[in-house]
Amino acid sequence: MTTTTVAYFPTILLVPLISAAVIALFLRRQGNAAAAVSLAAAAFVAFDGLRLALGGGRFESATEWLRLGDLAISLGFKFDDLAALMLVIVGLVGLCVHVFSLGYMADDTAKARYFGGLSIFMFSMLGIVFADNLFMMFIFWELVGFSSYVLINHWHEKQSAADASKKAFIANRVGDFGFLLGIVMCYWLNGTVNLTELAAKGEAHTLVVSTLLPLLLFCGAVGKSAQLPLHVWLPDAMEGPTPVSALIHAATMVAAGIYMLCRINVLMVPDALTVILWTGTATALYAALCAITQSDIKKVLAYSTLSQLGYMVAAFGLGSMSETDAHNGVTHTHVYAVGVGAAMFHLTTHAFFKALMFLGSGAVIHGCHHEQDILKMGGLRTRMPVTFWTFTIGVAAIIGFPYLAGFFSKDAILYLAFAKNTPVFVLLALTAVLTSLYMVRLWKLTFLGAPRSDHAAHAHEGGLTLTLPLVLLAALSLVAGYHTHYPAVFAGVFDLIPEAHGTEHTIIFATSLAVMLVGGSIAWFFYRSTPTDTLADKAPGLFAALAALKHSFDRAYDYYVAKIQQRFALFVNFFEQIFLAGLIVRGLAGFVGLFGLGARALHVGNLNAYVYWFLLGLVGLWLFATGLVTL
Amino acid sequence: MNALPLTIYVSFAGALLALAAGARSPSVARWVALATALIAWAIVLVAAAQFVPAPGLQDLVDLPWIAELGIRYHLAVDGISLTLLVLTGLAATAGVLFSWDIGHRVGEFFALYLALIGGVYGVFLSADAFTFFVFYEIAIVPKYFLIANWGSPATREHAAMKLVLYSFAGSALVLAGLLWANAAAVAHGAPSSFGLHDLAAAATQFSRGEQIGLFALVFTGFAVLAGMFPFHTWAPTGHVAAPTAASMLLAGVVMKLGAYGCLRVALPLFPVGLGFWQPTMAALAIMGIIYAGFIALVQDDFKFVIGYSSVSHMGFVLLGLAAANATAVAGAVLQMFSHGVIAGLLFAVVGRMVYERTHTRKLADLRQLPLYRLLPFAALTFVLAGLASMGLPGFSGFPAELTILIGVWKTSPAWAVFAGFGLLVAAAFTLRAIQVSFFGSTQPAPVAASASEPTHDAHAQAYAPITIAEKSGAALLLAATVYIGLKPDILLDWITPALQSPLMQSALKGGAL
Repeated sequence: MTTTTVAYFPTILLVPLISAAVIALFLRRQGNAAAAVSLAAAAFVAFDGLRLALGGGRFESATEWLRLGDLAISLGFKFDDLAALMLVIVGLVGLCVHVFSLGYMADDTAKARYFGGLSIFMFSMLGIVFADNLFMMFIFWELVGFSSYVLINHWHEKQSAADASKKAFIANRVGDFGFLLGIVMCYWLNGTVNLTELAAKGEAHTLVVSTLLPLLLFCGAVGKSAQLPLHVWLPDAMEGPTPVSALIHAATMVAAGIYMLCRINVLMVPDALTVILWTGTATALYAALCAITQSDIKKVLAYSTLSQLGYMVAAFGLGSMSETDAHNGVTHTHVYAVGVGAAMFHLTTHAFFKALMFLGSGAVIHGCHHEQDILKMGGLRTRMPVTFWTFTIGVAAIIGFPYLAGFFSKDAILYLAFAKNTPVFVLLALTAVLTSLYMVRLWKLTFLGAPRSDHAAHAHEGGLTLTLPLVLLAALSLVAGYHTHYPAVFAGVFDLIPEAHGTEHTIIFATSLAVMLVGGSIAWFFYRSTPTDTLADKAPGLFAALAALKHSFDRAYDYYVAKIQQRFALFVNFFEQIFLAGLIVRGLAGFVGLFGLGARALHVGNLNAYVYWFLLGLVGLWLFATGLVTL
Repeated sequence: MNALPLTIYVSFAGALLALAAGARSPSVARWVALATALIAWAIVLVAAAQFVPAPGLQDLVDLPWIAELGIRYHLAVDGISLTLLVLTGLAATAGVLFSWDIGHRVGEFFALYLALIGGVYGVFLSADAFTFFVFYEIAIVPKYFLIANWGSPATREHAAMKLVLYSFAGSALVLAGLLWANAAAVAHGAPSSFGLHDLAAAATQFSRGEQIGLFALVFTGFAVLAGMFPFHTWAPTGHVAAPTAASMLLAGVVMKLGAYGCLRVALPLFPVGLGFWQPTMAALAIMGIIYAGFIALVQDDFKFVIGYSSVSHMGFVLLGLAAANATAVAGAVLQMFSHGVIAGLLFAVVGRMVYERTHTRKLADLRQLPLYRLLPFAALTFVLAGLASMGLPGFSGFPAELTILIGVWKTSPAWAVFAGFGLLVAAAFTLRAIQVSFFGSTQPAPVAASASEPTHDAHAQAYAPITIAEKSGAALLLAATVYIGLKPDILLDWITPALQSPLMQSALKGGAL
């Protein structure tokens, strides 16, 4: 495995960009041609990505983009094992989603915009994967946000879609606000934002660290990976077409926050990791609780995604482990970034099984004529066998059924938590119980029993474009967990996966089996195939409490927007009207008096409201200014 | 490069020609205006191609004017002024294209328009404070007539009057400051002069009190025109009342005159004053960014949204100047260019493409129309301009605001936090404007929305299609914002050396907190 530095712009990045440009410029009205172009680009990304990753060649390159004296922002590419792994994930899931979209979006009137959006997304996402410095990552960070906005807003005639896209954009902007400040801070503290240079400084122990810096950067992950309290945009983002939910809001873009954290692992300090750990744990548990009450198939999966992202963030937050071994009388301490290994491992397996389930839900929605309510489904097992079996594999993988993908990656995280932080271990195990519960509930209500609506009764399997991606992703969900069998080219990541041995192994295995069985059996025996939610019937109090928990954040934000922000804006506007009116109505007097340009003002204009306001404002500003100086 | 002064003369000559032609044929006047704008712009671009970036102003013309007072007709250029000259040419050309359909007193309209442009070129080329001031006044007068005669009838009188009062009050402060500086220089034994270099050299002898007072006068005077809070109220009303091309020039170029005056005159001449006022400047700039942003969030008049967004974005320019380090000031100049292009584009869509067809600027009315289907080109342009305005990578707003933020953090992280918050507010009001204006119409659409074609046709016949002139103007401005967004180094390579000049260095030293 060699690392070479070359001036090089990866073709793999260029192809989706060209595809997007061609669609935007020439194919706006040719939906089918646009789909073909976009699909070709996605296929190229998938195959070239595999070639690059498995070929083992690793490289770095940089060209200067913007120079201001000492400050240089470069556009560079860092292709190491971590990037290679992410590239493979994005390529494979991207290709599956493109193929699936051919069938799913076949009759859409704005097909060209849709596929153009997918291409621009692929470009932006690959930019994040390849970025060698934080400024460049931020550039593509914003661009994925934009493509996500466009794709959520695909059916923009729907008010809910328009609102959801706006919410997603703003919530991400809030996170990016911290992220950008963190990047600027990192630049002024360390003189560089280049990942390799930061890592080198870290090894040489010349890195200037602070607790604030990683936390500001973490804000970016909180927004993009939808952690508490900025998670609210992700469930709403389900307004977008389902393949988009699979690609962007489950497998790749929302995982970018975790990828970014792994990239800047060197900047982490214990206090920051603690915050990250608890944010992730809280998100995991909270979202799992929310998922239980959902009856929209996509919303269940969305909360499940939130929960699993919380798992990954928590894994990262658990941090490193050190191993001490005595060799020839000399003690060596090796520090392994096991948090990175565990988080990326779960990111990988999750990308496959969650994309699988989202596409499966798309197939269900397609088959049931756009019915999304699982309470109105049922009996799809026989009507949609391919979807059923592949979805079952996805469910088995996420609940940690032994020897499927999720089993291994979740165990790695549980083991890490077990070894480092007992309360977190307990909470994550509880989350796993809930995961098993809501997934089995979803699976049972959707596929088993008798159909509970005409749509479900007349459900049908979609064409090959819908089923083929499901089969491929199901296969990946079966095998993706065997990390020791991965090609050695990903060793940079997979060597960091923590593994339990001996008694610990037994404890973790038993725990994971137990939580799966407990959650699964509760769901299996409790939920009835009825058109109403069993929990709501049997324990309305509990159901209402869980629903209230879900709504609490939305309510808080709605309150902020409607009662605080809007009122503040209206107040400011009212204030401004006084400014305007003061000048329009009493223009000359107010104005001339203001600047003291003539004694005339003293005769004409009594000190009118405007001048009062002005003086008051001036005093206020002075206080503000002096306050700022002392900050 | 020595041809640059021609931009001024060509514009004035074009103004006379357009006036003469307008009496006979409006169409000839239009073409004269377009040709004039293009020629002047071409002169700038040729000069830009030959330009060798260097620290300090490169002399073009230096003639004695009023010998007794030491006033000289002194024109010179550096990377900062060149950036703004390119912007002026671009905005002027686009503005003519967006005024193509003016039907009323065409000759006079374009004569005033070109006179304004000539004045602006003059300001950006002046190296003598008095010359600077004269051109500055020349640029202000035509604005009044453009708004008062061609503006929107309901408010144009007030708006024009207000704008001119503010402008003149600002000018009065500047003039008072310059005369005081001149007198103080003479009192300290220097020969009478208004040359920027001479004044700066003399000002090093000034007392701290004089520096502080002078800076306050000159900076405030110029900052009024840059839309600094709380002297910004002329801007939204003026923009709203003005005809489209005038709004474009007002936001695109005239507000930059103010910021440029601050940077070229106030900062380098009175660095001690700068050091004293810096926190106040920053506070006012931040107030402007956030205050105007919140107001833009609740406006119901489409043009007011853009008007207040201009004030908010100009706050970034002023904040960059207040931070007074090389990075922040370079960012401020980049932002002047970027905002000039983007604001021009936004006003073109709102005032020209939409208002001239729908005859309403009320967002409440616009949201009833499926405007994105009726005017798809306008919708696309507005979305792109909105993204640029929000500072999305790929557009000029991104490197500009990023550079300002980096520079501001160096001076004060707290200021950077406030400015970052301003970016958030900007995203909120821009997204709202995009959605309510073009995509406000919500129809009970099925999941796979099929556009209701009959309505589409019915409405489409009601609105005249977007003209070629409008499309070219929009394409020109869009190309500029994308080009600079992808390659900001083109401008920064001019701007950065200019900040190494002794004059600018003294300003930056004065501002080192």
